[in-house]
Amino acid sequence: MVYMGDGIDGWNDVHGIDGARLDRRKFFGVGGAALLLCTIDGKQVAVRTPGDVEKVDAAMASLRRPRTVAKRRQAQRDPLDSAAFPTPQPQPGGQQREYWIAARPVKWNVAPNGNDQWMGKPAPRPSRFTAFVYQRYSAGFAEPIGPPRMPGPTLRAEVGDTIVVNFRNMGTGRFAQPVTVHPHGVRYTPDYDGAYLGDFTRVGGFVEPGEEFTYVWEATPDSVGVWPYHDHGPNHTLNTFRGLFGAVIVKPKGAPIPDVERVLYMHSFSPQVTGIPRLIHCINGRTFAGNTPTIRAKVGQSVELHVIGGDSNFHTFHIHGHRWPDSGGANVDNPTLGPNETITAAFREDNPGRWLYHCHVFTHQDAGMAGWYLVDP
Amino acid sequence: MLPFGSLPLAASVALLAFPTAALAVDYPPAGNPGKGGTKVRAGKAKTFTVCKQRKCKYRSIGAAVRKARGGDTIKVKNGTYKESVNITGSRYDRLKLVGNAGKPRKVVLQGKGLKGAKAQNGVLINNADGVTVKGFYARNYKANGFFVVNAVGYTLTKLVAGHTGVYGIYAFNSKGGTMSRSEAFQNNDAGFYIGQTPPQSKPKRSIVSKVKSHTNVLGFSGTNMRYVTIKDSDFYNNGSGIVPNALDSEKFPPPDRNVISGNRIFWNNFNYYAGAPFTIPASGPAGLAGYPIGVGVLLFGSQNTVVEKNKIFGNWLAGFGAIQQIQLALQKDPKLQEASVLRANTVRNNDFGLGGSDLNGRDMLYDGSGTGNCFAGNVVRSPNVPADNSTFAPCPGPAANTLNSSAQQEGLSWVLGVNKSDPSTFEKFWIKHPHSSQKGIVPLERYTR
Repeated sequence: MVYMGDGIDGWNDVHGIDGARLDRRKFFGVGGAALLLCTIDGKQVAVRTPGDVEKVDAAMASLRRPRTVAKRRQAQRDPLDSAAFPTPQPQPGGQQREYWIAARPVKWNVAPNGNDQWMGKPAPRPSRFTAFVYQRYSAGFAEPIGPPRMPGPTLRAEVGDTIVVNFRNMGTGRFAQPVTVHPHGVRYTPDYDGAYLGDFTRVGGFVEPGEEFTYVWEATPDSVGVWPYHDHGPNHTLNTFRGLFGAVIVKPKGAPIPDVERVLYMHSFSPQVTGIPRLIHCINGRTFAGNTPTIRAKVGQSVELHVIGGDSNFHTFHIHGHRWPDSGGANVDNPTLGPNETITAAFREDNPGRWLYHCHVFTHQDAGMAGWYLVDP
Repeated sequence: MLPFGSLPLAASVALLAFPTAALAVDYPPAGNPGKGGTKVRAGKAKTFTVCKQRKCKYRSIGAAVRKARGGDTIKVKNGTYKESVNITGSRYDRLKLVGNAGKPRKVVLQGKGLKGAKAQNGVLINNADGVTVKGFYARNYKANGFFVVNAVGYTLTKLVAGHTGVYGIYAFNSKGGTMSRSEAFQNNDAGFYIGQTPPQSKPKRSIVSKVKSHTNVLGFSGTNMRYVTIKDSDFYNNGSGIVPNALDSEKFPPPDRNVISGNRIFWNNFNYYAGAPFTIPASGPAGLAGYPIGVGVLLFGSQNTVVEKNKIFGNWLAGFGAIQQIQLALQKDPKLQEASVLRANTVRNNDFGLGGSDLNGRDMLYDGSGTGNCFAGNVVRSPNVPADNSTFAPCPGPAANTLNSSAQQEGLSWVLGVNKSDPSTFEKFWIKHPHSSQKGIVPLERYTR
C-alpha cells in the first residue's frame, strides 16, 4: 500500500543530475524525488530510492492472498463481505464489449526520437526504464494487438452495454506482484471493483501473476463521459505511476464518434519509478514535443481531446489558438484538472497551423509536458 | 446398422458407447492442484548431470531425480534412457529437467522393454508445481510420453512424443501451464491433450503454441478443458484435428473459455482403422464409439470458446464442426444437460480452403443448437452444413440460436453411420478435392509402412 505525499518539483527537474548511478544522498538532492510512503507488515516506510522501491516490490510479491489472512480476523467481517452479487448483463439492445488486456513489463523510452522539438535541443538522458503497462491482446492472449502504449487500451461502450475485460497479470521479475483493473465512471458490483481492501478484498481485487480475472462493468446513463482506469491492487500507487492506467469512454446510445478523438494523460515518472535522477513530466508516457503525441486535424472536423490527470499534481490543459466551452458553458483555453480527473476540450476545428498544446504549470511545461497540434487547412 | 436417419435421436445416441476417457492404467488419482505446500530446499539450487558414460555420477535420470529437490536443475546428456521418470510430490516444485533443447531427438526416453508401471509414462509429473521439462524424445510408452497431473503450472517445451499408447503430451486436472515448440506423432489417442481443468474464479491460462501434431487419432483433444489457448501450431494428417469435448466420464464438463487461434489445421483425414503405425484403438478414442475422420476443428460441446484466424484446409468431412453433446443432453442431471449446450462460442476470421487451392469437403457444420454462438468474417470456399447457412448467426450471438435438426442428423451420421470393422465407412461421407503441396509433408489417408 503505497501512497503519495507532497510532490516537490522545480527547475532542477529539467537540469537533472546526469547518469543513472544515484546514491541515497544524491537522491535527496533531486527535487523530483517526491516522498512515497508505504506500509509493510503494518509499519510505515518512506520510499525514497530505487533500493527502497525494491524492498516494497519484494514485500508486495510475497504478500499472501487476503482470504488466507482473513480467517484469523473473522470477527471484523460484516455479512456484506460475503454477500453475493449477480454479474451484470447488457440491457436490451445493448451488447457486450469484450477486451483482453494484460499487465506486462515493457522496456520504455520516454523520448524515443531523442529531441525536444519545441526548443530544438536534445531531450535529457537517460530516457529508458522498465515500465508496467496494460497491453491489449487478441482473444485468449494469443497475440498482442499493436505496440505497448500509455495509456493502455481505450475501452469504449454505449449506454446499455457491458464492458467485459478479460484481464491477465503477466507481471514477471520485480513486477511479479498482484495487480488489478479498477475503473471509474462505470457501474460495478464489489467483485468487479478491482480494489485491494486488505482483509475485505473481493475476488477481483487481487490478481496474482499468471492469473486471469474477468471484470464486467455496466455503462449506465450516468456513465456517459471519459474516465480513467488504473491498478488498485496492494501496490497501486507505484504500479499506476509505472504505467498501469488507461481510459474508458462511454457515449449515449448511437452517439457519433468525433472525427478526431484522443485521450491525453498528464503524468510524471518519479526517480523512484525509473531510477533516473530527475522527475520526468509526460503526456501519454512520453516527454517533450515530438515524443509526446502529435495530434493532427483538419479544418471543419469535430475534435474531442480528453485530458486526464495521472499523478499527484494538478495540471492545466492549454491549446494555442483554440477555445472551447467547459462543462458550465464558460469559454476556456486553460482549464485545471486534478488527479484522476478528466476534462474534455471539444470544438469544431477552424484555425489551421502548427500549434502547441501543453500543461501550463510552468515547471511541467518546461520539463516536457507539451506536444504538437497540427491543423491542416 | 440401420440407416441412421430412420432412428429417433435418443435411440441413435444409445448406440454410442462411452467408456472412460483415459484408457491407460496406473494413473494417479486426481487431487486438488496447488494444495501440496512448497518444500523447496533452503540454500542454493543444485545442478545434476546425467549421462550414460562412466564419468557421470548419475547414469539414470531417476537416480538424479531421487537426489534432487525443487528448484534444482537436472541436465541430461544425449543418449537413450530406458526408464520412466517419476517426479511426484511438492518437494520437486520448480524442478528443471533439461535434455537437448536444440536436438531433442538425441535424448531418448525409451519405453520399449519396460514392464508394469515403468512402461506407462516417459515423464510423469504428479503434484509438483511449475516443473520444466525441455529437450527430450519419449517413445513407445504404454500410456503417455509426457504427463502432468495435479499441478499448478508446468513448462513442457522442445519435446517430441511418438508412438505412445494414449497421449503424446498431456496435462490433466492441472491449473495453467505451457506446451510449446514440441512435436507429437503416432499416438493412438491425441498428440496433445489438456483435460479436466478445475474451474477457477481467477483462472491460470494454459498456452499451447508452436507445436506440431500429426499422424495421431486426434491432433489435440480436450475433454472438459478450460482456459486453454492453442495458437500458431500445425495439426495435420490426424484422424481429426482439434477436438474440445464435453464428457461425463471426467470431472468438470464442459470445455469452457478456450481459444483456438492462428493455427494451420489441414489434411486431417488419416483413416487409422485401415492400418496405423500404432495399436488401432479398440473402443474408440476419448470415450466415443469412434470420432469422425476428416474434421479440422470439432466442438463436441463447448462454451465461451473462440476459434479465430486459423487456416483450415483439405479436411474431407468439414473444416469446422460444432454440435451439441447429445449424450449429455439426454442425462437427467441438469448440470450435465447444461454442459451439453453450445453456448457463446465465436468463430471468426478463419480462412477455409487455402485460397481455393486446397478445399475442405465442407467448410463449416453447425447444428444451430444452443445460445449466443456466432460467426463473423470467415472466408468460406466450400458449401456449409446446412447449405442455406441458416444456423450461422452473425456476431454478437443471438440469445437463442436456431436448431436445424437435419444438420444435426448429418453431423451425427458421420459418427453413427460408420463401422470400425469396415474402414471404408469412415470415408463414405468424404468430399475430396486436390491438395496443395506443403513443404516436407505428404498427405496421409491410409497408412502404409
